[in-house]
Amino acid sequence: MSNTAIITGPQRDEMVSVWNDQIKMRVRIAGKGPPLVYFHPAAGLYWDAFVDGLAQDYTVYAPELPGTTPGDAYAIYKVDEYCDLILIYEEMLRKLGLKGAVAVGQSMGGMIACDLAAAYPDLFSKLVCLAPSGLWRDDAPPAVAELYSSAPEKIPGFVFHDPSLPAAQAMFTLPENPAEIPKAIAQNVWTLGCAGKWMWPFPEHGLRGRLYRITAPTLVLWGKQDRLMPAVLAGEFEAGIRNCQVKLYDDCGHVLQIEKLDQALADVRGFIG
Amino acid sequence: MKVLSFQQLPYRHLPDDFASKYDSIVTTPYFDLVDPKLMHQDHNHFIDEMLHAARCGFDGIGTTEHGQAVYDILPNPNLQMAALAYATQAEGLNTALACLGRALGKTKEPLRVAEEYSVIDQISGGRMIAGFPISLSWDSNLNAGIAPIDTRPRFAENIALIDKAMKSKESFAWNGRFNKYSNINMWPRPVQPSMPVWSPAVGNPNTLAGILDRDQVFLYFSWFGPKLTGQVFDRYWDMAEERGRDRNPYRLAFLQCVAVAETDEEAHRVYGPHVKAAFNTGLGSIPMSKLSIPGYMDINGVEHVVKDPGDFGMFPIMRTASYEQIVDAQACIVGGVDTVAEQLIELVKEKRIGNLLLMVQHGSMPTELTKQNISLLAEKVMPRLRQAWSDNGFADQNWEHKWWPTGLPK
Repeated sequence: MSNTAIITGPQRDEMVSVWNDQIKMRVRIAGKGPPLVYFHPAAGLYWDAFVDGLAQDYTVYAPELPGTTPGDAYAIYKVDEYCDLILIYEEMLRKLGLKGAVAVGQSMGGMIACDLAAAYPDLFSKLVCLAPSGLWRDDAPPAVAELYSSAPEKIPGFVFHDPSLPAAQAMFTLPENPAEIPKAIAQNVWTLGCAGKWMWPFPEHGLRGRLYRITAPTLVLWGKQDRLMPAVLAGEFEAGIRNCQVKLYDDCGHVLQIEKLDQALADVRGFIG
Repeated sequence: MKVLSFQQLPYRHLPDDFASKYDSIVTTPYFDLVDPKLMHQDHNHFIDEMLHAARCGFDGIGTTEHGQAVYDILPNPNLQMAALAYATQAEGLNTALACLGRALGKTKEPLRVAEEYSVIDQISGGRMIAGFPISLSWDSNLNAGIAPIDTRPRFAENIALIDKAMKSKESFAWNGRFNKYSNINMWPRPVQPSMPVWSPAVGNPNTLAGILDRDQVFLYFSWFGPKLTGQVFDRYWDMAEERGRDRNPYRLAFLQCVAVAETDEEAHRVYGPHVKAAFNTGLGSIPMSKLSIPGYMDINGVEHVVKDPGDFGMFPIMRTASYEQIVDAQACIVGGVDTVAEQLIELVKEKRIGNLLLMVQHGSMPTELTKQNISLLAEKVMPRLRQAWSDNGFADQNWEHKWWPTGLPK
C-alpha cells in the first residue's frame, strides 16, 4: 500500500445514545471481520489509509468525541469531567456489544484507550497506542499548548517529520469550493477546541498511576522525531504497562500512521494477528 | 458625558528591533530586556501619571489587566488602583476608578476579585467601576492554563458568583463547576449597593448579548482602528434595540488612543515615534494565533470571523504598520487641539458614546510628555467634548447614567 492510496472511508454510521440520553455519539463503521475500535486524535476523526487498511481485516468502529460530530457542536458541554468521558466511551462500547474488541488509539485517542483499558481491564483483547498522550515528563513535556497556539501554516511541520508527503498535505487540504471553507475551518478549529478540554494545557490526568491496571497485551508505536509527544515517553508506557512492546520509527513525526503507513499497518496487523 | 484618562503599563525602554525579534506576550524574555531600575521607574511613573490625570479634572481614571505582557504589566491592576484610591481620597478628588478590569474567564479566585473591588470601593468611598472582561485567549489559556473551551463557561460562573457575593444579604454556599465554597459571606461589601459594571469586549455578538442582557456598559477600544471597525458600534446599538434596551449613550464606553499638542506638526513630531513603537511592539507583536486558541471562540464565531475578519481591523498588519496607517485608521488620534477635538467629537456623536476613555500614554512615551498630553487634553479638549455633548442634543435628552459610581450613602 502506498501513501497515496484511494480512501474508501466509512461505510455506515451508528448513532449511540449515551449519558442518560443526553448525547448521541456517532460511530463511523467500515470493513468486515472481528471488531476493532479506533480512537481518533485531537484533530478529530480523519479516515486515512491506515484506518482504511485496518478495515480490510477488521470491522472498524470509530467513535467521534462528543462535540466533534458536524452539526452537534455543543455536545461537548454535556461532558464536564474526564472521568465522565471515560464512562461515556465505555457505555457506547457496551451498547454496541464491543467487549473484547481490539483497541487502536492515536495520540489523544491512545490516552482514552489506555484509560478505558485501565478502568475496565477486560474490555479490550489487545491495545495499540500510536504516540499516545497521557503522560508527562519535566524533561520532555508534550507540546500541546505550543501546537494549539501556533500559526496554522506551522502545524504540518509540527506533527510531521516530512510535511511535504502528499498524504500529509492532503490532511490539511481545505474544500475546493470557497463557500465551504469557513465552515470547514470552523469545524476543524472547534474539533481541536473540544479535544482541548482533555488536552489543555497538558494531556495528563493521572494515567501514570493507572497504567499498572492495564492487562491487555499492548503495542506502543512512536516516531522518533515526534515534536508533539516526545518519543522518550514511549519508555514510560513500556515501564508502566506489564505486557507492553514498544517500536520506534526513524525519520517519523507524530502522525506515524500516515508518515510510516506500511510499517505501522504491518506492525499492528502482526501484533493483533 | 464622562471623560476618563486611561493607561496601560508598558515597559517603556524596549530596543528598536523588538518587534522583529520578540512577541510581546507569554514568551518575551524578561531578564534579557529589562533594566530593573527602569522597570521600577515605569511603575511609579504610571501611578504619578494616573494621579496627575485625576488632579487635572478627568471624571475617572482607568486600567486593564494583563499577565505576562510587555505592553501592559498589570497582572493585578487592583494593586495600583488601591494606591490611587487612597491618594485621590487623601486629596479630596472625586475621581471614578475604573478597573477594566479583572478577567473573569481567567481568574481561579473570583471571590478574591470581588473582595478586592469591595476594598477599593471602601477606600475610595464608593468610586469604583468594576470591569469584567472575559479575557484574551492567550492570557486565560496560555498564561493561566484554562482550557480554551472552558473560558466562557468560567466567565459566566464567576460573574454570577461575584454578583451574588457582593449583594447577598445572607451567607451562602456555592457549588459550581469551577468554584466550590462552603460559606460565602464577604467582608467588606462594596460601599455602592450595585457597583457599576463595564465590560470590555471586541465585538463578538455572543459577548455583546451577555453585556446587554446583564444591563452593563459595553467598553470598546480604538486599538484596531475605528475607521475600519465601525460595524461593531452599529452591531451593538442594533443588538441593544433587538434585546429591548434603550439607546442611552451611557451604555457605551469607548477607549480612544490620543496624543495632543498645540499644533498638528508638533504632535506628529513629539508623539509619532512613541505611537508607532507602541503599536508595533505592543498589540502588534501579539501573534494572531494566540488571540483565538481553538475552543476559545464558539464554532459559529470562528466561521463568522473567517468569512469576515473585519472586526480585527488593522490588527493583522500592526506589527509592521507605519505611523501613517495607525493614524489614518484612527487607532490613535494624533494632532493639535483642534484636530483631536474634532475627531473625538465626531466619534462621540456618530457612535453615541457616553463614556469616553482617552488612552494617554503610548509605548516608550516618557513621563513628562505623558503628563503634557494629559494636561492639554484636560484643559483644551475636555471642555469642547462637554460642549459637544450638549450640542449633539444628548444633554437635552436627559439620559440617566445608571452605570456611574454613586459614592458614599447620602
